[in-house]
Amino acid sequence: MIMSCNNKHMKHTNFAIILALAIYPCSRADERDNHFESRIRPLLAKHCIGCHGPEKQKGGLRLDDKSGWTKGGDTGPALLPGKPDSSALMHAVKRDGSVAAMPPKQVLSPAEIQALERWILDGAHDPRNQVASLGGMSVEGAKRWWSFQPVSKPTPPENGHPVDAFLKAKLKAKGMAFQKTSTPHDLLRRVTYDLTGLPPTAEEMEAYLADTTPNAYGKAVDRLLASNAYGERWGRHWLDLARYADTAGENTDHPLPHAWRYRNWVIDSFNSDMPFDQFVKAQVAGDLLAEKAPEKDKAGLIVATGFLAVARRFDHDTDKHMHLTFEEAIDTLGRTFMGMSLGCARCHDHKYDPITTSDYYSLYGILESTRFPFPGCEAKMQPRDMVILPGNEQQVAESHRIDSRISQIDAEKARLKQPIIQLKDGKLLARGTVADGSNQALTVESPVTLKLGEMLLLAISPLTNHGADSTRVEFKIKATDPAQPSWDLKNDTIDILHTGNPVGVRKGSPRVWHFFDLQKDAKLLSKSLVNILGKPGLNGWQSEADTPSVMVNSTPSEIKAFTSLPARTFFAHPSPNGAVGIGFLAPVACQVNVSGIIADAHPGGTDGVAYTLTLVPASATENLPALSEQRELVSRLEAERAQLLAKRPNPDLAFAVAEGKPADAAIQIRGEPEKKGPVVPRGMPTLLAGTTVPPGVGSGRLELAQLLASPNHPLTARVMVNRVWQYHFGNGIVRTSSDFGARGLPPTHPELLDWLARYFIDDNFSLKRLHKLIVTSAAYQQGNGPIDDRDPDNQLLGRFARRRLSAEEIRDSLLRISGVLDRSAGTQHPFPPENTWGFTQHNPFAAVYDNNQRTVYQMVTRNRRHPFLALFDGADPNTTTPDRQATTVPTQALFFMNDPFFHASALKLAQRASEAADVNAQIDKLYSLSLQRLPLDAERSIVLQLAPTGATRLDAASLAPVARVVLTSNAFLSVD
Amino acid sequence: MTMSNRRNFIRSSLGGSLLYSGIATDLLARQEADALAPRGAHFPGRAKKVIFVFFSGGVSHVDSFDPKPALYCDHGKQLSLDHPETRGRGGYEKLFLKRPNWTFKPRGKSGIEVSDLFPHIGAQIDQCALIRSMHTSHSNHFNATLGMHTGSFAFSRPSIGSWVSYGLGTENSNLPSFMVLAPQMPYAGTQVWASDFLPGAHQGTRVQGGDTPIANIKPSLSIDQQRREIDALTAIDALHGAGRSDAPFLAARTRSFRTAFGMESALPEAMDLTQESAETKQLYGIERPEARTFGQLCLTARRLVERGVRFVELIHTGSSGNWDSHGNMADHGTLAGQSDQPVAGLIADLARRGMLDDVLVVWTSEFGRTPFNNTAENPGREHHNWAFSSFLAGAGVRKGYVHGNSDEYGVRAVEKPVHVHDFHATILHLMGFDHEKLTYRHAGRDYRLTDIAGNVVRDVLA
Repeated sequence: MIMSCNNKHMKHTNFAIILALAIYPCSRADERDNHFESRIRPLLAKHCIGCHGPEKQKGGLRLDDKSGWTKGGDTGPALLPGKPDSSALMHAVKRDGSVAAMPPKQVLSPAEIQALERWILDGAHDPRNQVASLGGMSVEGAKRWWSFQPVSKPTPPENGHPVDAFLKAKLKAKGMAFQKTSTPHDLLRRVTYDLTGLPPTAEEMEAYLADTTPNAYGKAVDRLLASNAYGERWGRHWLDLARYADTAGENTDHPLPHAWRYRNWVIDSFNSDMPFDQFVKAQVAGDLLAEKAPEKDKAGLIVATGFLAVARRFDHDTDKHMHLTFEEAIDTLGRTFMGMSLGCARCHDHKYDPITTSDYYSLYGILESTRFPFPGCEAKMQPRDMVILPGNEQQVAESHRIDSRISQIDAEKARLKQPIIQLKDGKLLARGTVADGSNQALTVESPVTLKLGEMLLLAISPLTNHGADSTRVEFKIKATDPAQPSWDLKNDTIDILHTGNPVGVRKGSPRVWHFFDLQKDAKLLSKSLVNILGKPGLNGWQSEADTPSVMVNSTPSEIKAFTSLPARTFFAHPSPNGAVGIGFLAPVACQVNVSGIIADAHPGGTDGVAYTLTLVPASATENLPALSEQRELVSRLEAERAQLLAKRPNPDLAFAVAEGKPADAAIQIRGEPEKKGPVVPRGMPTLLAGTTVPPGVGSGRLELAQLLASPNHPLTARVMVNRVWQYHFGNGIVRTSSDFGARGLPPTHPELLDWLARYFIDDNFSLKRLHKLIVTSAAYQQGNGPIDDRDPDNQLLGRFARRRLSAEEIRDSLLRISGVLDRSAGTQHPFPPENTWGFTQHNPFAAVYDNNQRTVYQMVTRNRRHPFLALFDGADPNTTTPDRQATTVPTQALFFMNDPFFHASALKLAQRASEAADVNAQIDKLYSLSLQRLPLDAERSIVLQLAPTGATRLDAASLAPVARVVLTSNAFLSVD
Repeated sequence: MTMSNRRNFIRSSLGGSLLYSGIATDLLARQEADALAPRGAHFPGRAKKVIFVFFSGGVSHVDSFDPKPALYCDHGKQLSLDHPETRGRGGYEKLFLKRPNWTFKPRGKSGIEVSDLFPHIGAQIDQCALIRSMHTSHSNHFNATLGMHTGSFAFSRPSIGSWVSYGLGTENSNLPSFMVLAPQMPYAGTQVWASDFLPGAHQGTRVQGGDTPIANIKPSLSIDQQRREIDALTAIDALHGAGRSDAPFLAARTRSFRTAFGMESALPEAMDLTQESAETKQLYGIERPEARTFGQLCLTARRLVERGVRFVELIHTGSSGNWDSHGNMADHGTLAGQSDQPVAGLIADLARRGMLDDVLVVWTSEFGRTPFNNTAENPGREHHNWAFSSFLAGAGVRKGYVHGNSDEYGVRAVEKPVHVHDFHATILHLMGFDHEKLTYRHAGRDYRLTDIAGNVVRDVLA
């Protein structure tokens, strides 16, 4: 028996768990009952439930409850009451071959088979329907589950700071108490790292220690919360949850050049203390809210949906694997906002939490009705469906105008089909193969007589297909009669090659040189290339694909491109699948001597090339003039197209979602998109509302956003205040901060959690005020203290746990202390221009762009993690990260011992410290800059042993060892 | 507060002065739980260490380990298949069988047929259990490579090396427990050796070769200077650590510098092949220019497991210039020239040193190649995930045995098919793990290498 809650449309959201139940009437203790209890229940338990019960549901089938066989498995109901002959179960146990034989190994005895048959014939009476379940919980269990209860308003057990009151009560019960307050130094360092991710400056520390007013600490907290660094630190926490990345994560890891706007929006939202409910709503349905929002807010709201848009893409053709992207988005959304692992219900009902596969696909329908931006992938390189930001309308109009002219041009070009030219049947004059890296003279023994319109065709083809087939070519045609002209491929074309195909010797002279793609029928190479790979003077022609091609280095110096291209040389490059052709079309009848050189110009490409020289009859070249004329037209169109593209404005785009075509989704049986089950209406998970999206309102995202952001939602506020708590204290009140379900841990202080959630809701979801409340508690300000055996895990917070700096804090601190931190906000990463992309799984996007901005602004890649972030346990951008690991591994130590960035930072610190007057002052300054305190005598004597003995003042180089040791020390790398 | 007051204040708050020596050793003597401490398996496993040899790009099974006489006689015969690599692909409307480029011969005492593509490996076939019925879930490099390493064909999950490291820990704290010898980046990038949600200590450490085989291994200072700085650091940290015994990571971190310092010499020592005899090098083919690079890697792998590294992966070439011979199968010949003798040398060397008793050698590719193409004369072969060959050798593996088979043309694994999950389950079994019990709780679920599948292939066990 499965809930059917899908017929109610969403009105006012009501969070009491709505469970429509139809409990079966109690069974009568009759004969059928006896039969079931004595024969069937034991039989099912013995043979079936191991694979078709609570542990496993092979084939999607459960036989431990009546609802299990009623609903059936992947192939439908397991049995039909009264009809044993039509029941799959009977076919299975009889092993008649029509369905898979069951049980797989042990054959049932005839008596057992008979008992089953009788049971089904008698109507398959099954009393095992008392426990109505919703996913992995009983309905009653789900109704009572702690995190689904409305947020209560507990009264603190004593006066004073409410946070402390709740904590103290539990400590007292164990005879424990808080530690005494941390030292002012430790406390300012703690709260500064905590709120901004940066160390305090020496001046800030000095000012703080000098401030004797009672509210000194509160003022420091206000200062920190008001600094931009706050948003950069806490925005980063959110970006961990949002699995933010600057690449798509599919097989080529395509760049997401516009994703940064979402990153910055998150940072800005924290800095402006955007109420959290608005923050949530914007990320799910900002584009829809933007429609009615003031002009100034529109762009931000659109950008906010980057939360959904940056969901990972999968596989070769990401369009074909959007079901995985939707799962990722559903899972991230569920864990991040609700602390619920919704993604677990893709293939089967959730095993522990009250989430059904129908719930999953009701959300899936919402996402499938949403247009996700397409980042490009190997199968389809062109990105599409970015969202244009308001204020860019004119540029957009202009770009539309240009796009439509471009479409016209493309259509015109497509109409101009090339006539078929066959150049294959010429008379062979010479042939040869050129081994890797070697060269060969092109020789024809005796003079060749050319009639008007005949063609000398030099075809160069690959030996195998490594592709590294750049071939240097010299091709000279000299009339035997000195009165007649001569031709030389290189000299004739080197400065004008890109101007035409065919091309003449000079303006107005006959166009004798033709360049062909000879893979199938002969085609003139169609794309003119200027400054190939950005190398000035490297020009040529290619086919629609990269190869075949011809090119010249027209400059007086060598060019490094593909291989080394010497000055003033001509090259041809065949395609892996066929030849490139160089044709000389005789403009007059003449007798000529042919000579030249064919040289493999890419040694080490592991293969060479082959060539043939043929004399093509005039009959075969008849269509060439028409072809050239067409080429002229196409060239003109292409030139116009290129000009238009260059002029096309670049409107501000967001990697954001938009509304798609609203449609309900079908359940995918066992998560396989091609196995469709029944269609489920779009809507909200049963455990929260069970409401469906009313017709005519769009995808349902707005309704989902409103539900998640509602002050009555039992999870949103609880989950968020718990996260805030976790980031402040190291552990949440619920230690599984993204799992508030059955597999998660219960709250250590449920009343405190509710009190905080209620405070947060009633305080208009202000995060900054929540921080202030928490960090001004005695619990937060207390010292570290020893481990107490009564609470070794510090669940009661009778001490403040020390921690290692995060990856971002380490790098940002090194930058700040060495005096080079760039405090500007990052924008777009310096990705290569979109039109140059050609990423494949063989050659995926891979880069590390380095600068001195804060680490939150550094590019995050999915398939190849940033080496520094990976080393120091940065967030995994492939999945929502609720808490960071803090591993200690020797490869981290190697970073401090040998990394050039670390050494450079230490040297810069040494330079800053070396400005002080004498060696003691220098050490003081070094400590003050890095640890915001002076060294202990013992520390001083240790570090002085690293300096030259007897020196009164050190230069930066002599001070550098001290700087390295201090920046490597635990005092620097940990927060008390 | 004056400067001097402040100084006194801070000093007293830090607990006064302490002597330089003594404390450090006390602190360092304290051993706390270490993620890499050697741990026990579920049951005594025959294999203690693994060398996982991965040939990237898709090695053609019908040209190497899976003899199909019918392919020679039925060359050019048309067949009709709904194949993931040709479905809906222009120019692939018709498919034709295509004869192998290499001939097969019985090898060794077992008489197992291996082609002339891998004559050296063929000579070692008596050490191996060859599986001719492998199949995998995806025909794309990225996904199949990910699957072969993590058991997941789409999502990032811990690598098999990370699982083994997590399960067994390490025997040598001066070297990482899981090392990957990969001069080039493979398909799916660093995900191939990522520890993902497992603790970071189990992540594969990639050795690229060259002057800096792993990041920052090359000392930036003289050994003496580095030792002096680490000594000073140890003393400073000991001062800091006094009264901070509540945070074990502090002492662990200080100790990690000693380990790293050890690694700076241990890793170059392990990679220093000058200590090997000319005869050994010859065994790996190192004197042949084309086999030098991979031969050196294979020899390094032996030296690493000798020194206690738990799991060594060798990747033959990366995401390009690899076994992906769409264009011309002749490329397989070139690549085999680079890799056949090194792999065979590795097996032979391990065998003669008695190391095959506890070292498991795994050889595989991400999938095979089509026994057919769009024309019989097409010189290349396409990706093929329905059938391919892999082999195991060494600890606990049945010697000179062929498991399973593909159909008469090598199209489908028909006899005792072995999926990647089964392959993983078997490797874990050889290490002493029940693959269903080697789990890690992450995000509310117990994850394992074999996802929700996998059966140990008992026939390949000795």
